[in-house]
Amino acid sequence: MSFTTHTTRSGFLLPSIHSVPPFFTEQPNPTTQSQNISQWTRLILAYARHRRLFVLRLEDAETSGGDWDEVLRNERINRRVLPSHLSAIMESMITNGQAVYEPPKQTRAVLLYWRLPEEWAEVLHSWATDTANLNTILTFYEITDPPVPSPLSDIPITLLRRVIAVLAKTGRAQVISTGRTGSGEENEGVRFFSGGK
Amino acid sequence: MALRRYTGSVDGTIPIPALLYNDEELLASQENIGIYSGLQKSPDHQAGSVHVTSHRLFYVDSHKASSRSFAMDLSHVTRTDHYAGLFTSSPKLTLYLAASNYPSSSANSRNEPANVFESWECEVCSYRNPPGLSPAAANVCALCGVPRSAVPAPTSRAPFPAKQLSSSLPASSLSSTTSSATSSPAPPIASDLVACSACTFLNHTSLRICEICNTPLPRPAIDARKSMKSAPSSRPISPALSEDGNDPMQHILKLSFRKGGDKAFYAVLKRALKSQAWEGKGIGKNARRGSVTRGSMTPEAASGPVVRRTGIDGILRTVETSAQNSESDLSNALQDLEALMVKAKDLVHLAAELNEKLTASSTITTQPPRAPTASPFSSSYSSTSTPAPSNAPLFSTTTLVPSTEPEEAAFIRSSLSQLGLQMSNAPVTMDMIRDERSWIEELARELAGVLQGSADGLAGNKTGKFIGIMKERGIVALDEVWGGWNRARGVALIPPSTFLQTLPHLPAYTSPPIRSRVFKSGLSVLHTPPYTHAAFASRLVGTLVMAGPQTGAQIAQEENITMGLAGDMIVAVEADGEICRDDEGASIKGGGSGSGVEVRWWVNIFRDYMWDGQD
Repeated sequence: MSFTTHTTRSGFLLPSIHSVPPFFTEQPNPTTQSQNISQWTRLILAYARHRRLFVLRLEDAETSGGDWDEVLRNERINRRVLPSHLSAIMESMITNGQAVYEPPKQTRAVLLYWRLPEEWAEVLHSWATDTANLNTILTFYEITDPPVPSPLSDIPITLLRRVIAVLAKTGRAQVISTGRTGSGEENEGVRFFSGGK
Repeated sequence: MALRRYTGSVDGTIPIPALLYNDEELLASQENIGIYSGLQKSPDHQAGSVHVTSHRLFYVDSHKASSRSFAMDLSHVTRTDHYAGLFTSSPKLTLYLAASNYPSSSANSRNEPANVFESWECEVCSYRNPPGLSPAAANVCALCGVPRSAVPAPTSRAPFPAKQLSSSLPASSLSSTTSSATSSPAPPIASDLVACSACTFLNHTSLRICEICNTPLPRPAIDARKSMKSAPSSRPISPALSEDGNDPMQHILKLSFRKGGDKAFYAVLKRALKSQAWEGKGIGKNARRGSVTRGSMTPEAASGPVVRRTGIDGILRTVETSAQNSESDLSNALQDLEALMVKAKDLVHLAAELNEKLTASSTITTQPPRAPTASPFSSSYSSTSTPAPSNAPLFSTTTLVPSTEPEEAAFIRSSLSQLGLQMSNAPVTMDMIRDERSWIEELARELAGVLQGSADGLAGNKTGKFIGIMKERGIVALDEVWGGWNRARGVALIPPSTFLQTLPHLPAYTSPPIRSRVFKSGLSVLHTPPYTHAAFASRLVGTLVMAGPQTGAQIAQEENITMGLAGDMIVAVEADGEICRDDEGASIKGGGSGSGVEVRWWVNIFRDYMWDGQD
């Protein structure tokens, strides 16, 4: 009864436990269940980091063809994660601060914190420093979609706001509202400052 | 003719309600009726109205109401027939009248008023019975139900055979005159007035009670008129009567409904006949009695052997009769059972003899045959205090039996035990034991025998063929044990509460000790040491490690236990975290509800897992 790791097409190394059928079943025993969920959490976050996925939805467990198929399904042992199981996993991640419901006040989709906002803040600040964008005003678009790919590419705006808010707390960033554009879109900018004050 | 024989003339000018007895009730009326006497039309009664009451049938002629009207007691009617009519023929109702005991119309019509409209005092309770009741009701005291006995009426109203009618006419007229003379001291006055017997007021003849003091009036005038009118008319036909008395046509009266209304009238008449109100308002009037007296009940018979069931007397008699009936029914019903019991006694005797013989032949000295009536447990257990010695007799018997014909003996014994005739193993009952504590202990000992199969046990037998409930199975549900135990006992069954009290004592009398266990689902079982939780868990984990994941069914098969039991035991192990489950409901293809979803059990793979994937 030995199981081996498996490398997916996207180059992700799945743990051996992903090949064990009970991994895909909710365990009535609370101890076993918590072990199960912690392994799942670790797997999901690792995969999200690997694929730079920020959002996990219940639909990913309900239907196939999404970004998460490689993790949530295992064709080799004919097992998949049931939505109820995924829901329990998501709940546990929220409790541990590894994710937040996004948008809030629902439980079908979460924003994954495979880096905590504090970690992101450091990443963002170092990126701004490295790209010599300190003391200049940057739009959110310039951050999420820079001409040169950065670790922050495609970061969701909601997460970006949180990250900037973390930086603002320590006085390393300042949100500048530039009013509304003609199309009614809120146009915001951010200015980064070097170091802490 | 039937008409003359059964009917009495009434004065149709008097409205019908006034002609009724106090306990009589007018049920229905129908106009435009013609009467047939026998098969012939009765020429004098072709247009009139008919009224049916609870007691009588009245015909009131529409032309000559005073002379041609008549009344007939419904008690004469034995059966009825309905003819719906065809073209010009009107619907008809045929009344078949009782042939044998019709009353003499003249005697009846004359005696009735004298008898009925007269108050009388009951001999027993001195109750003054009011006048105006129907003949049947008037013959019984309304208060105490004792028949009126010492009155002249029954003797004077003795049945007159038809042949004596003509000759008895003078006699009956004589008796009527004497009775009227005694009952009404005031002689008939030539005028139309009647003197009241109480206040001497001269009342009009139509009145029945005195206008002044409400005393019932004697009716000399009407009597006189009746005798005047009926006597001449009855005399010419009386010879014919005596000749054709047996002709059935003479006992038929037909009502021809010239203008319809026959169906409704027939229904009312049938109901009146069925209720038999003329038999008195009896208390215990039941169907059986009704069928016996039906048709033979006449006013004369009322004072005869047939007992009226009214008042206290009636109640007492009814109670007596019903008690007798139920007693006889019961004794009849139980006769079969008694016969069976006699046979059963023989059978038990035979079984006892057989058992003794078998014991004598199969066992030599080690096991003395026990008397069927002795309490075997108290005697045998007093010598065996620990479980180990109690197994000794089993051993000895099993070795000894083969020396004689073991198969036949076994067959006979098992047959006997199947019949519930096992003599040597009477169950422990409460009255054998002194206090409750030892009672429970004895029960535990007995239960141990049932479970593990000892020679002293209830179901244990000397052939050694009996295997206790738990001899081959390590774990048995409590309900099965309870049922099996009580089946082995056969008598003096053990209630569940006592059974549960017994269980804690069980390990002391069993070897290996049998303990009880309650699962999370509420299932209670008795189990041997191999089926304790720890033993089972380690065995299960070992199996899973060795043979890989298994379904509940496979495990149940391996352990030789039922699926439900296995499920409960596995879940208990799972609760410890030793194993985990793989639900096929999580499969990509197949699975899902209704497709035989099965849970496979795995060793807990999470417990010692070290992350070996990508970080």
